[in-house]
Amino acid sequence: MVFRVIPRLDIKPPNLVKGINLEGVRKLGNPTDFARRYYEDGADELFYQDVVASLYGRKGFMELVTHTANELFVPLTVGGGLRKLDDIQKALRHGADKVCLNTQAVTQPEFIREASAKFGNQCIVVALEVVPYRDGRGWEPLFNNGREHTGLDAEEWAHRAVELGAGELLVTDIHSEGTKRGFDFEFGDRLVKELNVPIVLHGGAGSPEDVVKAADRGYSGVAISSILHYEKTAIHDIKESLEKAGITVRR
Amino acid sequence: MNPFPKHRPSHAAELSGQDSNLPAFYGLPEDVKYCSVCTLSNQRPASAVEYQHDRETKKVTVPIDDGVCDACKIHRMKHGTVDWSEREAELRELCDRYRRTDGKPDCVVPGSGGKDSIYAAHLLKHKYGMHPLTVTWAPHIYTPWGWENMQAWIHAGFDNYLFTPNGLVHRLLTRLSVETLYHPFQPFIIGQKLFAPVLAAELGIPLVFWGEPEAEDGNPIAEYGTSEQDWKYFASEDRDNITLSGVKIGDLKETYGLTEQDLKPYLPVDPQILADAKIDVRYMGYYELWHPQNNYYYAMDHTKFKPAPERTAGTYGKYSGIDDKIDDFHYYTTYIKFGIGRATYDTAQEARNEDLTRDEAVDLVQRYDGEFPERFAKDCFDYMSVPESEYPVASKMFEHPEMNRDYFEMLTDHFRSPHLWRKGDKGWELRHACWMDGHLPKPT
Repeated sequence: MVFRVIPRLDIKPPNLVKGINLEGVRKLGNPTDFARRYYEDGADELFYQDVVASLYGRKGFMELVTHTANELFVPLTVGGGLRKLDDIQKALRHGADKVCLNTQAVTQPEFIREASAKFGNQCIVVALEVVPYRDGRGWEPLFNNGREHTGLDAEEWAHRAVELGAGELLVTDIHSEGTKRGFDFEFGDRLVKELNVPIVLHGGAGSPEDVVKAADRGYSGVAISSILHYEKTAIHDIKESLEKAGITVRR
Repeated sequence: MNPFPKHRPSHAAELSGQDSNLPAFYGLPEDVKYCSVCTLSNQRPASAVEYQHDRETKKVTVPIDDGVCDACKIHRMKHGTVDWSEREAELRELCDRYRRTDGKPDCVVPGSGGKDSIYAAHLLKHKYGMHPLTVTWAPHIYTPWGWENMQAWIHAGFDNYLFTPNGLVHRLLTRLSVETLYHPFQPFIIGQKLFAPVLAAELGIPLVFWGEPEAEDGNPIAEYGTSEQDWKYFASEDRDNITLSGVKIGDLKETYGLTEQDLKPYLPVDPQILADAKIDVRYMGYYELWHPQNNYYYAMDHTKFKPAPERTAGTYGKYSGIDDKIDDFHYYTTYIKFGIGRATYDTAQEARNEDLTRDEAVDLVQRYDGEFPERFAKDCFDYMSVPESEYPVASKMFEHPEMNRDYFEMLTDHFRSPHLWRKGDKGWELRHACWMDGHLPKPT
């Protein structure tokens, strides 16, 4: 398996934004400019998340998806505000290759089954945005961009999501997200060991070495933002570090 | 006659069928207007001198002239006429005058360990070479993450004095404030404003730094443009005529069983004591461009500060004002009295700072403002209950010493202003909101 480096672009139409711990988003500029830079630098996929879709619907996101899909020849995963099969259909028609579900999946789990039956497992990514429970009994997946509780056990939920047809899981450790302090592997590692679907890790990458660690632990890829947006490193540097560590990457 | 009966009328309910000549409580402007830049209305009261505060007090509110509120006008000044390099030079000069190298602190930084106090203390220590002593007036009921952030502040390299007021006294004063003013935060605000300058005087550390100037968040523009805090907030020469929690000091002692020691942390200080100690109270926001989101980023970069693991009730945010369980109720009461809840305050600030567009801000207000704070309701109602077992004297003054949801709803309806609220078939609804049509001046 080729390890994937996936730039994640959080979008508040029409801007690329970035927060810390999914909070306090800053406007960084035109998403297309960033996407092009990452594409040219060797991104394996792009991930677009409409971070305000569940707060207040805003037009313009799907137009961005189309624009990107027409210009850049790289797989594109799209998330945010996908509540109905029609929404998924629309995202795919606009040029997405995969869709990422969270809010609708945790509130109506059968939606995963319906979506994967209709569009295929390979197309359905389920996001788990997790925080540890305060009493140490595991992790809780949140929804609405890390604002609302589910009361679920994230590990059980991950198994359920895969049984229902999720073809890939995107795991975000909220307390690491945006900090550039390195990944927290504790929760994600369990899924890598227990589940037979690709697990993409997101939240906390601070250096190419952090990405190498994720690859060594069996993750299928990483979703990274801050270190790229703020130009702490570049995709070709990350891939060079991966290759030096003996990890197969697409060149 | 019991001063706090368990049934009180709701004038707003009685006048629900009426559409004109509606009385405005609290001296609020009858004509509701909205700022065209942020989401504030002209019903936003300014910080008050709380010692004269009773239900009849006529509030000073934020003026909205030419469709723009004072807070947004100040924002324009901050990004226009203010010379920040000159301000930085002023702060350096001030610090040079007060800096000590003998091991004693040279300034007091009051705060909670939230993003703003972290920013102020850290900047003073690391950018300006000062030796701050941080001081904290404890929240009513710490949230777990509020307590952890407080620890994160201290562990980022600061000494801290934490003052936690007598729980029995603070609970009773909070309950009284809700009964008389529907203002659970009043005793906290008073205690917190007093504590830092008084302690600074006792310790002989004259320089005190608050964070944000009150005017930036909606106090009169005339107060902006000075780095010094007006002493009216915490000093008074006239101790006989003051009220606390809407009750005269004498009554608190005679009828509610409180003592001089119980009340001392809340009573204004003799201005002469502050003058003798040469207390010099300043605002960091005068010297440094104050942008709450930047302070959040600063706190995340320099300390182990963490946002809350859930959004705050009544709003969408997770990073500001997250340390006190009663905070949710504070903003719920401002929503009831002024039509301005937590989402309005949060979006107004973020729209002003261009973190949100006004359209986004308005949508967030419509979605979240005024949400009842279920998450900590039981803790807060227990806190505000005054059972006879704990309050043998004071509980007699309440026909219903227990605070519960029904009783709180009764008070809520009692304090709704008829010019803002009507009760219809679907329950209570605002007569005015920033998301309703026709509340902005026509674009010219």
